[in-house]
Amino acid sequence: MAAANPLITADAVEATEFMDLTRKYRVTGVPKTVVNETIEILGGLPEQDFVRAALEMPDNEPPTTA
Amino acid sequence: MGLLSPQDEAVLKQHLSAITKPVTLLLFTQTFGGSESGTVAKAILGEIAALNDKVAVVEKNFVLDTEDKAKYRVDKAPAIVILSDGDDTRIRMYGAPTGYEFVGLVEAILVAGTGKIDLDPQTLAWIQAVDKPLHLQVFSTPT
Repeated sequence: MAAANPLITADAVEATEFMDLTRKYRVTGVPKTVVNETIEILGGLPEQDFVRAALEMPDNEPPTTA
Repeated sequence: MGLLSPQDEAVLKQHLSAITKPVTLLLFTQTFGGSESGTVAKAILGEIAALNDKVAVVEKNFVLDTEDKAKYRVDKAPAIVILSDGDDTRIRMYGAPTGYEFVGLVEAILVAGTGKIDLDPQTLAWIQAVDKPLHLQVFSTPT
């Protein structure tokens, strides 16, 4: 996603190494994606579902957003 | 002995052969007070770079290289910043790239080195239409 749009940054974080972040974002399972500090996506989703959830697109019920 | 087996190296070399643009892996590590994962990350990146002459590793000191740290907005170490022909891809990897993270690293290197984004056209169109900053943090574990 980051490669496709200059406004997007993507960090892959090794959860066991950065326990402060793991606690901050309440990472209890992986993969877990946090978008702009607010949207949480749990688990690996199919490509379109993941992007819809990350972009908070309407008419969608992402199964695991918080 | 390296971290990659000769078989893994052969497969990886084949994948990396698609690269057409120089890829720079900026590795930020902390010499003192840093974790062992910085050493692991350095070894892994070195083995990847040895397989393709378009891939280079440049080491940065997380404490001393404050200018680059600020430029690439690196706030923790070890960190890998991936550049495509000198341009920031805005893809970062924090921690040692082992296990699943290793696959992610190789995919990121391929995106940086080929310019090809392997996404469905519809998904790509949605992503390209994003008009405000979006920061994704993907948490994973090595296994």
